[in-house]
Amino acid sequence: MTDVEISPSPAILPSDVSFDIDTPVKGQGRMDAAWGSSEGDDDFSAQVAQSQETTGFVFEQVYQPWNGTLNPRWMRNWAILRHHVAGIFRKGHRPWSIPTRLFLVVVFIASLADVGLTLLSALIGNAELHSMWGVNRDNLYGHVLGFFPRNVLYFPIVAALLVGGVISEDRLHGTSALYFSRPINRFDYVMMKYLSVVIIQAMIVLLTLCLYYFSEIISMGRGWAWIIDTFPLFLGAFLGGTLLIITYTSIGLGLSSVSKGKFFPGIGLIAIVLGTKTLALIVSQLFDRDILYLLSPYDCLAHVGQAIIGTQSTYDQYSWTWSLASLVIINGVSLYVLSSRVSSMEVTRE
Amino acid sequence: MVDEYIIKTTNLSKSYGPHMALEDLNLKVLKGATGLLGPNGAGKSTFLKTILGLIQATSGEGTVLGHDIRTQGAAIRARIGYMPEYEALNPDMDAIYQVRYSGELLGMNPIVAMSRAHEVLQYVGLGEQRYRDIGSFSTGMKQATKLACAIIHDPELIIADEPSNGLDSVAREFMISTLQNTVNNGNRSVLMASHLMDDVERVCENIVLLHKGKLAAQGRIEDLKDIDREIEIHVWGGASKLEQAMGVAGLTVRREGRIMRIQHIGEDTTTIILKCAAEVGAQIRRMHEYEASLEDLFLVIMENLGYEVKSSEDLLRHPVKARQVDAPEHLGGGAA
Repeated sequence: MTDVEISPSPAILPSDVSFDIDTPVKGQGRMDAAWGSSEGDDDFSAQVAQSQETTGFVFEQVYQPWNGTLNPRWMRNWAILRHHVAGIFRKGHRPWSIPTRLFLVVVFIASLADVGLTLLSALIGNAELHSMWGVNRDNLYGHVLGFFPRNVLYFPIVAALLVGGVISEDRLHGTSALYFSRPINRFDYVMMKYLSVVIIQAMIVLLTLCLYYFSEIISMGRGWAWIIDTFPLFLGAFLGGTLLIITYTSIGLGLSSVSKGKFFPGIGLIAIVLGTKTLALIVSQLFDRDILYLLSPYDCLAHVGQAIIGTQSTYDQYSWTWSLASLVIINGVSLYVLSSRVSSMEVTRE
Repeated sequence: MVDEYIIKTTNLSKSYGPHMALEDLNLKVLKGATGLLGPNGAGKSTFLKTILGLIQATSGEGTVLGHDIRTQGAAIRARIGYMPEYEALNPDMDAIYQVRYSGELLGMNPIVAMSRAHEVLQYVGLGEQRYRDIGSFSTGMKQATKLACAIIHDPELIIADEPSNGLDSVAREFMISTLQNTVNNGNRSVLMASHLMDDVERVCENIVLLHKGKLAAQGRIEDLKDIDREIEIHVWGGASKLEQAMGVAGLTVRREGRIMRIQHIGEDTTTIILKCAAEVGAQIRRMHEYEASLEDLFLVIMENLGYEVKSSEDLLRHPVKARQVDAPEHLGGGAA
């Protein structure tokens, strides 16, 4: 409250009114003391609320123009790739769940087990330990295509966690409109998402393979002769790992594109990889027929990988080319489903 | 000379098998704010997808901001901002990062996109909320975030699909005023698809009205309202006689007791009414022009107009006749 236009008030209290210890304030005297007997009758002064200040705004809505230039296609594609891959490492990009990130760290460390043991064998000079864990044909195969634990506990689960929501969540949240209402075509959309998932898996599968190979060179002081001798094996394992990543990604993204959540694609991928393997194993054990392994993506990869790296084949009833053909079909069907479903994704309404 | 039309189509058609989703659309959308109206299934979504270059037209041609919709879809989408009807936001992301990503998807440098995201979120009233995850936002805040995503690159045309749908009165008011501000102060154009006629009327000067894939009407709202202009009078004494007299004088009268609405047929309509009242000795105690709302207009056009009537000029030329085309029989339909 503030006073406005205060004018001198006429006598507020009668002159004969006094307040002291012997004259208690009560009745008319109290009224006069409190309000003044004539206040407001003769003058026009009043106490009013202070008027609202009009200067300053808490929120002022001003449209800000922007005169920048938009970058070309490669920059938009880089944005999609960066969004997905960088999201694994820091906030502000695709929000991968905490369990997914934790599992990736655990699997990455676990995949480095052979690196650690190679370094240990070199450090303590134990030849027996080195023969078990050092780089050789079988261990290179085992690093990427070994069934237990890598293709039971590590890689399919990593793939399932990654591919689960990559496309399905765009359907679920309607964020496909964010892409397709921009100058991004569906090929770029799928390709960048595909590459993102491949790159993250490659950090687990292929980066650890490289670290394994280079740790052997450094810790054992391997020379050029050894490198020339073993490099084709390393490349074979690298190729086998690449095939594994591509196959798991194709199947997983195919499943992701037909659903509206991450559970079905994830569990579907694990079911396909491990279910077909289990079914083929049971049939093989009961009827001594290996042909059903052609339905199992993992077994096809393992068979082709054995052929590329040159380890002893565990599938001796048919040629590895059948497995290669099966892999091509599995990938082809998955990519067909993926492309047809993505091409039907709507920008206006799902 | 700068083209004053931001969207132009010529005989644009789109069919899905035997179903014609769009049929021979001849549209000219001016700069400024335009409402895209039509009942469900009218072809609004197909029209939007077609002008965004996301689906190929079966026949006909069109341009958006001077770009051919058949061959330059990417260029169109780089120059427009699309605000979809449904959420289209990742609920686990903070608003600032979502808006920045939408800018990056247009080709903006990440640093520039971040800077611009701050600006546009401030503009849509989310300056203090920009580091909150979208999942915790109210519907109004999500709508504002979508608008921020749409305007991050300062597009010349903003396509807003149901921008005020599902909002409470405060959020709706803010969204409408923000769109108005974008048009009036930002000098941007808005194509607004909405079922809320009041909102369209407040933001837009023009409308395009689709029905069953065809153009039912287009033009300035004020012009189109003339097809449903009526004069309302309150009569005291002799109402029946006056109604009869006005009918004889060629006026179309709707009566509810002492209140009558007479269809406006020209500048001398009021003179004819007063003359009739003087003849029959009826007192007119109140007379005022009844202005139809956009909703009234929409209903009139949807229910009564023939699809071949395409512009406000056509509608104004033969309003009464046009009312009868395709109208139900109890409304006098089938006459044309």
